[in-house]
Amino acid sequence: MTAFLDYFQFVLAPQMITGLSLGVAVVLVALGLTIIFGLLDVINMAHGEFYAVGAYLALSLGFAGVSFWLLLIIVPAVMLPLGYIVERGLIQRVFNKPDRHVTTLLLTFGLGLVVEDVLKVIFGGNTQRPPTPISGAIDIMGVLLPNYRLFLILFGLAVIAAVALVVNRTRLGAVVRAAAFDRNMAASLGVPVSQVYAGTFAFGVALAGLAGVLLAPVFSVFPTMGRDFIFLAFTVVIVGGMGSIMGTVVAGLLLTQVQALSSLIVSPVWSDPILFSIMVLMLVVRPQGLFGRLGHA
Amino acid sequence: MTKIVLAGLLATTVFTAPALAADPIKIGVVTPLSGTYAPIGQQVRWGLELATKEVNAAGGIMGRQVQLLFEDEEANPAVAVQKADKLFEVQKVDFLTGTVNSGSTLAVGQTAERAGKLIATTVSFADSITTDKCSPNVFRVNARAGQQSAALAAWVVKQKPKAKVFLLGPDYEMGRSTVATFKKRVEGLGATPVGEVFAPLDSKDYTQYFGQLRQARPEVLYTSTAGNDTVRLLTQMQDFGLLSNLLVVGASGTVTSQNISAIGAAAEGFGTGVGYSTQIDNPANKKFVADFKAANKIDPDLYGADSYGLIYFYKAAVEKAQSTDTDKVRAAMRDLSWDTPQGKKTMRAGDHQAIQPMYVVQVSGGAFKVVDQVAGEDAIGPDECARF
Repeated sequence: MTAFLDYFQFVLAPQMITGLSLGVAVVLVALGLTIIFGLLDVINMAHGEFYAVGAYLALSLGFAGVSFWLLLIIVPAVMLPLGYIVERGLIQRVFNKPDRHVTTLLLTFGLGLVVEDVLKVIFGGNTQRPPTPISGAIDIMGVLLPNYRLFLILFGLAVIAAVALVVNRTRLGAVVRAAAFDRNMAASLGVPVSQVYAGTFAFGVALAGLAGVLLAPVFSVFPTMGRDFIFLAFTVVIVGGMGSIMGTVVAGLLLTQVQALSSLIVSPVWSDPILFSIMVLMLVVRPQGLFGRLGHA
Repeated sequence: MTKIVLAGLLATTVFTAPALAADPIKIGVVTPLSGTYAPIGQQVRWGLELATKEVNAAGGIMGRQVQLLFEDEEANPAVAVQKADKLFEVQKVDFLTGTVNSGSTLAVGQTAERAGKLIATTVSFADSITTDKCSPNVFRVNARAGQQSAALAAWVVKQKPKAKVFLLGPDYEMGRSTVATFKKRVEGLGATPVGEVFAPLDSKDYTQYFGQLRQARPEVLYTSTAGNDTVRLLTQMQDFGLLSNLLVVGASGTVTSQNISAIGAAAEGFGTGVGYSTQIDNPANKKFVADFKAANKIDPDLYGADSYGLIYFYKAAVEKAQSTDTDKVRAAMRDLSWDTPQGKKTMRAGDHQAIQPMYVVQVSGGAFKVVDQVAGEDAIGPDECARF
């Protein structure tokens, strides 16, 4: 019995709780991705790099003396116009081509490579890290959890809830969903569709930037950090249903638990193959994902 | 017999002396001057150039000037072999050095055997170069991986006798072999391994191993992660309050100038075994560091120091042999002792591995400080070369 309690306290429970904090982190990154895909039908390959830009902005502003709490507002506010410009300046130009999926995918992929190299030129290749904003740790029934991770879980869940509320419960959200469902009908009813598109893309980019601010103290900052979460985030989006916020949350938390618990049984090297197999299986059995698409029945 | 040798020597002197004085001794340097390993190749080059300048200014080797011929091997064994062939066959170099990654050293060693020439590496760590894959034509003047962990293990048990040790390595060849070597060493000195974990390379989150780590209640953690992985491991351990009352030690590439600032306070107290540090307190090293810095505007590192020492090794061997002939120089190199910034090194005849004093360095105030020295004989380990 004590052996099991020891196992529970030191291995199982911490594993699930740290899995939860990683899950929230992944959902934060995947959220912008799924919204952009659900609405614009654009697979944003540069999403990871926007996450990196957010982290670097937080890092340099932090070193310049801006407090972490202000960064949570400033960085998304800076990313918003950046995302808007990218959508109007680049994506809009190829958006109406017949092979939209291919062209936007290649465009954003190329953009991601450029951004990554620009970060390398400006900040150098070495890893950097902002200080952890909240230090210390608390003891929850014998399980030790750093305060910042607890904050990350709670704040992340609040952000996710707020985004879900805006998309599903507000008039703005209704406009966005209408434009996603049938752009021509929405346009004829007076919805400025192209503005809605650009605004939504910018919103998704701002979410990536926010994720960068939140995760930089935990996972450190370096030019190729964008690739870190992007595969996991794509897997989450595909399993959850492309464009579904609910699906992203459920799939994100589920998959990270699978990862956390499976690494207790098999070597952690297998956790990526296991996740990607789940994704492949999902694409074969239920291509629309756990939940349907945003704005679709 | 003596008469014949004497006559031979005399003849050599008489007939070739003018040519010897005019012809420089050529040393080929096949080293990465571009790509990922270029910073290492740069240190190799600076170290060799500084020593060559000093030797030439003091009259050269047996009155002959030393000339270095550089070739870029791009850290690619295939390219290294091609460039080494060119240096041996076309440029007729007397000796060759510079290879950085162990694959290049092993490949160029075979080229040297075919060409009937000698080479030395000043950088490659892999134990195999002077153990199961040893070659009569290959010498190593730098410390191999086993020497570093031997020095570290000796220091760890001195700090914490009968320590409980937890081991964490990246899940690939280097990670597994470093962990296995350190485990064997430290176990032999009375410590108890209480757990080991191999995490995938580029792991995001090390927290998933912290449960096992806490459950094992270790006093010492050994890790051989590198780069970003170390940043995440140590800072996440700090967040989880796991660094208190724990001595963290690791491989020489675990905490470096590239990642130490990102790790910050979490690197404090980290210890590792090294063959060189600019902090080594002896007159030869102080002069070396000052001259190196004056010439290159940068501190020497391990690679610069070992490459610098190599020129003096070759000089001592040629002067002892009174020739640049392969067999004579090989015989002279065996059991040769010579002075370097790291102290006296001795080339072991049985496996062509240099024996040298090893140092333990520990992070204090964001920089490495030398905290202990381990005698060369205690760190060298058995001769495992069976080929010669």
